[in-house]
Order: sequence, then C-alpha cells, then structure tokens
Amino acid sequence: MDIVNVLEKLTSAPGTPGAESLGAADAALELLKQYCPDAQVDALGNVTGTTGFSGAQSRILLEAHLDQIGFIVNCVCENGFLKVNSSGRCDARTLAAAEVTIHSGGGLFGVVTSTPPHLSDEEDRKKAKEAEDIYIDTGLTTSQARDMIHPGDRVTLRRAFTRLQGNRVSAAALDNRAGVAAVLGVLGILKEKGIEADIAVAFTVCEETGGQGSVTAAYLSQAKRAIAVDVSFAHAPGIDEYKCGKMGCGVMIGHAAALDGDMSAEMTRLAEKYGIPAQHEVMGRYTGTNADRLSVSRGGIKTSLLSVPLRNMHSAAEIVDTEDILSVSRLMAAYIAEREGKIL
Amino acid sequence: MTLETVKKLSLLCGTSGHEHAVRAAIISMIDGHCQYHTDALGNLIVFKRGRLRAEKKVMLAAHMDEVGVMVSGFTPDGFIKFTAVGGVDTRVLLGRAVVFENGVRGVVGMTPPHLLSSEERLSMPQAESLYIDIGVRGQEQAKELLTYGDTGVFDSGYIEFGDGKIKCKALDDRAGCAVMVDMICSQLKYDTYFAFTVQEEIGCRGAKTAAYSVEPDYAVVLETTTAADIPEVPEYRRVCALGSGAAVSFMDRLTVYDRRLYDRAFALAEENGIKVQPKSFVAGGNDAGSIHLSRGGVKTLTVNIPCRYLHSASCVVDKNDILSVRELAGALAEDFAGGEADA
Repeated sequence: MDIVNVLEKLTSAPGTPGAESLGAADAALELLKQYCPDAQVDALGNVTGTTGFSGAQSRILLEAHLDQIGFIVNCVCENGFLKVNSSGRCDARTLAAAEVTIHSGGGLFGVVTSTPPHLSDEEDRKKAKEAEDIYIDTGLTTSQARDMIHPGDRVTLRRAFTRLQGNRVSAAALDNRAGVAAVLGVLGILKEKGIEADIAVAFTVCEETGGQGSVTAAYLSQAKRAIAVDVSFAHAPGIDEYKCGKMGCGVMIGHAAALDGDMSAEMTRLAEKYGIPAQHEVMGRYTGTNADRLSVSRGGIKTSLLSVPLRNMHSAAEIVDTEDILSVSRLMAAYIAEREGKIL
Repeated sequence: MTLETVKKLSLLCGTSGHEHAVRAAIISMIDGHCQYHTDALGNLIVFKRGRLRAEKKVMLAAHMDEVGVMVSGFTPDGFIKFTAVGGVDTRVLLGRAVVFENGVRGVVGMTPPHLLSSEERLSMPQAESLYIDIGVRGQEQAKELLTYGDTGVFDSGYIEFGDGKIKCKALDDRAGCAVMVDMICSQLKYDTYFAFTVQEEIGCRGAKTAAYSVEPDYAVVLETTTAADIPEVPEYRRVCALGSGAAVSFMDRLTVYDRRLYDRAFALAEENGIKVQPKSFVAGGNDAGSIHLSRGGVKTLTVNIPCRYLHSASCVVDKNDILSVRELAGALAEDFAGGEADA
C-alpha cells in the first residue's frame, strides 16, 4: 500500500481521545500486523506490537499517538441540537458551519450552527466561539435525537481526504495519523532491506488530552531508547519563520532539554550521511509531545522526537507533504540500521 | 418533483458571472419542454406554453449563481490570494475546502491556534489576510494552475441527513432553480415565463435585464432565505424555520412587497393545504429588488425555501419545504396568470 493510501485509510478511521476504538485502532492494528505478528490492543487502548527480533541491541520504542481532536456530547437539547465539550482543542475559528460526524449508531451527519451575519453585530463577526459555546445541528427532532444520541458519544470534524498538488494531501486527523504512517513506513523499509532489530511499536491513546497512553505504553515496552513521531508546525502566511518548519523540506529533528542530545545529534549526522531532507526544531525545555513522557518512563528512556511539518493544525484542513513523512521513516530506518551495525 | 435535480444543480460550480455550467445543465433538463434563449448577461429566459393563454404575463425567477472566491493574486510561496464573490463571512471560510472551476483543489489556511495568543485564538483574521493553499511549492507552479480571475466554490457534497434535511453548498439558489425546472417539465395551465438569472449575489444584476426583456405583469421570485432557527438566536429573530413550509416575504432590505400579493399567497396556501410561514424579520434582499422596479414597475412576490447557514459550505434545507415552495409557486403562477389577483 503506498503512503497516500495508508494515510487515507488511517484518516478515514475516526478515533478521538479515549474512543480510538471507533475505527482508528482497528485500522492501525491491521496495518501494524504486517510487521508485528503479535500486534494487539492493550488495556488503555494503545495499539502495540513488537518485531520479535531480540538481537544484540537494546529495544527501541517507536511511538506515535493515534487519537485525533474531537468533541464529546454532553447534552442532547431540544430540536436535535447538541452541546459538546472538547476532546483536544479544535481551532475554534474554523467551527462555524463546519461539518461533523456524530459517532452514534452507524454515524450521523451534523453541522455546527452559525449565527447569520445579519443577526450578528460587527464585534460578533470578528469573534469565534469556544467549542463549549457552539451547538451541533443534527437535523433530527427532539425525540429522534434523544433516541439515537447519548451524552458521551463522540463527534469528529468531517472532511473528505483530498489530494492537493504534488505530494500534498489534506484531511482531518493528519495530526497524528501522519506520524502513525511514518512509523509503519520505517517498518516497511527495514523489512524490505532485511534489517532485523528489536523494535516495540506503540500507537498511543489520549495524547490530545494529556498523553495518558504514552505513559503506560512506554512502561510496557521496556525499551531503552524511544523515538516519538508527531506533527509540528509548517510555515504558512502570517507565521514567523523562526517558529516553524517548512513543508516539503523534510523531517523536523527535535532539539530540546527534555530530549536526548546525543540522539538528536546522531539524527542530524545520519540525515546528512544519507541525504535525507531534514530541518531542525528547537524547543527550550520540553516538547509538548509524548516524548516528554516517554523519556521519564521507568528508569528513563533516551528519547528523540521527529516531526512531520503540518499546516492548519487542529482543523479539518490539515495538510502534509507525503515526502516529509517518507523522510521521517527513512531517518528512523537509518538510525535503527546503524545501531545494528548496518548501512541502510 | 425529485431531489435529484436539486443535487445535480447544487454540486455544479457557478459563482456570479460564471454561471455557464449551471445554465448548460438546466438547458439539458428543460430542452424539449419549452422555448428558451440566453441573453447578453447570461440569463436563461424560458417561455413555457400552457394549456391556456395567460391574462397577465407572469415571470418566475431563480438565480443560478452562488457565492464563492476569485483569484486575486499569488504570494511568493505560491499561496493563492482571493476575494470573495458575494457575501461570504470570514467565519465560515477558515479551514474550508474549495475547488476551482478547473478542478484544482485547496483549503483556506490559517495560523494554528498553538501559535496564537489566547485573545487571537478567538478572533477571526482580517479577510485580506486569508489565503488558499493548493499544495504547490512556489508561485511559478501556482501560476501554471490558476490565473487572475479564476473562480472557485466550496468543495462540499450533497448529504441527506436528520429528519428530511439536506446539506450542500449552493442550495442558495439551485433549490429554487430546481423548482423552476420541475415546473417547466410539467404541464402548466397558463403560458408562463421563467428567468434563471445571473449575478444575484453581487447585486441582483441579472434580474434587472431579465425583467426588462420579459416585461412581466407579475413576478414570483423563488429563493432561499436565512433560517435562524437555532438555539443561540431568540425566537423573534429567527426569520423562519425549517420544516414550517414556504416562507413568504412581506419586506426585506430591497423590497417592500405588495400586501395583496402577500395575503394572496397565504390564502392560496390555505386553499391548497400548502405549508406556509411569514419571513418574519426584515433582512437580506434578492432579485425581487431589481424586478419590482423594472420599467414601470412589476408586482412582485418572493417565496423562500428556509435555509440554515446560508452562504456557507453547509447550507441546510428541509426537503418538505422545497416541495411546499414548488406547490405554492405553481398555485401563485396560475392565480396571477389567470388574472385572479387583479379581480
């Protein structure tokens, strides 16, 4: 399956924090089984597996979070309108009249309400509403809605997977299915090259609400090293260049106090050695990703962070360049190969 | 009438001044049922023979154009700068998917909330700062795909959902066009004119020339109008409600409607068992604004399909309201053509 198909499959399967089983977990599990025969879903819902090669080098954990931002229904109101809470922070400015899927029964269509311009004053028109202040229009009657939808049901932003120009694609949930795809990609490269290494994989739950899945997955992995794969900010108009990476310019190698400096340096060396497009992302303290949690698991795990540049984060219009995902996979493959004394 | 026409027409790309695809589709649907011609501005003007000659000349009108975007420039990085065609609120643009007439797709991009201050996170950016990201690496590539003046629309599909609801882009006013197509393809009692108009969204311009050419005694505009029947809006400001039938206007920002015609609509609705409601808030404006001022004046009425989230990618209407508008439009056309309203 090529990278675009993998992304389409992964982004089409919903999974908000704590509800990754809506589809995302199964999609990831099926893809992971190609490389990890023992792939399974653990107690918290993480999709985990190992390559089964317990060679000379210590185990490395490849982690990417599986969940996506969304909402959780807290009230089914009159006339089929829903009140929701955030599960992870959506970009509030994109919510008016946005399309959503309500994961009740087989999945219901809904639209976020939007106050018409003629009923909004100048000030209102400049403001977005927090997720807690919106309503979702199900188009159902009060009784239909109350029969079909219940508090606790999940809601996701709805957007068709779209191919843009070149290698760029747009979809909701590319944060962080792009990371999941990158981890699957490295397993594919290593398999193809016949490089055996002791790898644990964890596609973790609840990153958008605190990273709980990465805590237990890191513990269970018993890994000595870890690479967290997530998305990060790609440059776009209005964003200071020093605050972000560039789309299409390769893997973003993380440098932060909370990350293992030697691993970051090694990643930098390998990107140069293998001609893998790479750029650097520098964070003073911690990273705001699961890498912060992996590194303090058990007695400590040397941890690196590799990111896929992404635009329009936490909206339904997220964009990635698939070449960047391939760069992440190749750099991880190079790192693992060299640790096994091999050349990629 | 079938909803298939509503779907087909709504999915076509046709911003103001670029109604070609919509017009071609309508022609393919009505060909053989009527006489028609396209005027200088692009209005499609139709004459449909009825069983009887009309006492009074009646014209029904619905506009073919939709709101959208027009390419106005390119950033050095290849992002597309655009201007809105018609009234599109910034609040419903951010993060939306768009598709240009030539099939190039993109999204309206923005700075992620993580990089904004807590105040900025809830502030809509200035319209001038918006851009469309089509996934190119630079300006040169962008210019190979698009040029100044190219137009695009929301990339948003047709979905039936909820309790008889439909969501699609451009239901404003392809739903009205579909009602007219259905009338043209059926048997009518009286000779009737129909105008599928252009450029409504930028100032009701097509209707002006269409009304001049047709020179009707009566006009009935078939439109969609804002339904603000959502929880955050108090009841008296909701304008009209989905599922409550055809919404008849007594006044909007461009027209004070003839009271006798307005009352006639309610009387006919009652006689024929058609669901009808007043458009109960003075807002918006439509082709009636141009038509009622044509030549020496035209008696004009607007019958609306209530529509939530108008001018967004997610227009929502109720199927039954479309049917109510279809029935009421038929009854009004007969009534006016038969000269009953003059009696």
